[in-house]
Amino acid sequence: MRNRKFVALTAVLSLSLALSACGGKGGSGGGSSTSLTIGTQTYTEPKILAEMYKALIEDRTDISVKILPDLAASPIVIKSMKSNEIQMATLYTGEIFNGHFKIEDTKDRAEVLRQAQEGFDKNFGFHWFDPFGFENTYAFTVRKELADQYNLKTVSDLAAHAKDLKLGVDTSWLERDNDGYRAFSKFYGFKFGDTFPMEISLVYQAVADKKVDVVLAYTTDPGIKQYNLQTLEDDKQFFPPYDASAVIRNDTLEKMPEIGDAVSLLVGKIDAGTMTTLNYEVDVNKREPREVAVEYLKQNGLLK
Amino acid sequence: MLRSDWLANYADFWRDRYADIGTAALEHLTISATAIALGSLVAIPLGMLLASNRIRWLHTLVFTIANIFQTVPSLALLAILIPLLGIGVKPAIFALFLYAILPILRNTYAGFSSVDPALVESAKGMGYGTVQRLLAIQFPLAFPYIMSGIRMTTVYIISWTTLASLIGAGGLGQLIVSGMGVNKEELIVTGALAAIVLALVADRLLGALEKRFTRKARTVTRETSYV
Repeated sequence: MRNRKFVALTAVLSLSLALSACGGKGGSGGGSSTSLTIGTQTYTEPKILAEMYKALIEDRTDISVKILPDLAASPIVIKSMKSNEIQMATLYTGEIFNGHFKIEDTKDRAEVLRQAQEGFDKNFGFHWFDPFGFENTYAFTVRKELADQYNLKTVSDLAAHAKDLKLGVDTSWLERDNDGYRAFSKFYGFKFGDTFPMEISLVYQAVADKKVDVVLAYTTDPGIKQYNLQTLEDDKQFFPPYDASAVIRNDTLEKMPEIGDAVSLLVGKIDAGTMTTLNYEVDVNKREPREVAVEYLKQNGLLK
Repeated sequence: MLRSDWLANYADFWRDRYADIGTAALEHLTISATAIALGSLVAIPLGMLLASNRIRWLHTLVFTIANIFQTVPSLALLAILIPLLGIGVKPAIFALFLYAILPILRNTYAGFSSVDPALVESAKGMGYGTVQRLLAIQFPLAFPYIMSGIRMTTVYIISWTTLASLIGAGGLGQLIVSGMGVNKEELIVTGALAAIVLALVADRLLGALEKRFTRKARTVTRETSYV
């Protein structure tokens, strides 16, 4: 009996030791000057971009790069960066509307970028690179037949039919303060008949199966093309800009400035059309993010 | 100072959003309760049948199928269900119902298999029919097993019902997932706390129910054994 207790205790102790050792390794990833961990959100776009950073950094420096995929949401990416579990990630300027720090309300693209760069530097110690040159913001999209049937071109056109329509959205939009559903219905003056907050990949399945009529999509999402959805123009300019940038911890960048040189090669180089195509390659044609990223870099002469 | 700020934040949040929190909790309860009820309705009779069944391969087949349901990842299962059941509450309940079958089935089966065959034989000798044996002897003896299966399943189905938020069925998972997306800790903590409370209360209630019925069942067995 005593003996068994001892065995169990040893097992528990050694397991917790092993686990804490793993944690230590992850944490010190940024501490040593030769390794870097890049985190990504759950969807394809940041995964492709992370592969690009990795390929460029490993090609031009001696730093070894690890990618930690599938962090559940951007605030979690930010928390992991803050605690140095990861040192780098892709973020979008509209992130400032998630209440990380006080902001001045604006929808101007340059102004939102400025607030993101200054705010995250001051409050988090992050260096926010200049944008890649594409936005991934929200867009209302409808099934093509529906657009033709009701002659829908803009978001305002939805007003007359909205109460008979079912809207599929991602799991967080209904809760967003500045650019979420409550603000939206006040701004445009209408509400939808039924809203279904869902896992975004299932939203596309649902619209393909006609279970929802309107999808709040992300603008670079290949699902728009794949499911033949028509994008409606945000005619009253409700949605704020979501310019994509690489973001890195200041201390990591100071220690390894060559990362900055490598990543800067991508600044201003990727437009929305290009990003959508790359996402399409992965999401629809089922290719590996790594393969697609490297192919893009080679085509643009950034990698031999 | 920080602490009281923190408390005030939560108090404000709950005051502002108690209606939404209530709706989410109610959705959560409805979905889990329906899934568990359906799971019990299917798995308990099935477990009873299997325990009295002598065909080996049929056991293997049923348990294999129940096992497979258990292992299908929830997101994949929900994606498959969209064409059949659409979105919202229905596919969420169905998925959870599938997940609830195995543990209830296993416990029911174990309960009925644990009944001493000699007891069943002697009941037969005393002229008990199959139905009588089942209700007066086997079921009361297997009852604690069945209940422990249901209680265990209830606790984890209540936690798994957070998957409803993936398919537009709402529930407390919606508070948690959206809280993660928009960086609102109050939402995450409230959703998680409410789910814990639901699970604890449900477990207590089922425990009380079990005690009550076990007492009754015991008196029934005693009476019958006197006869």
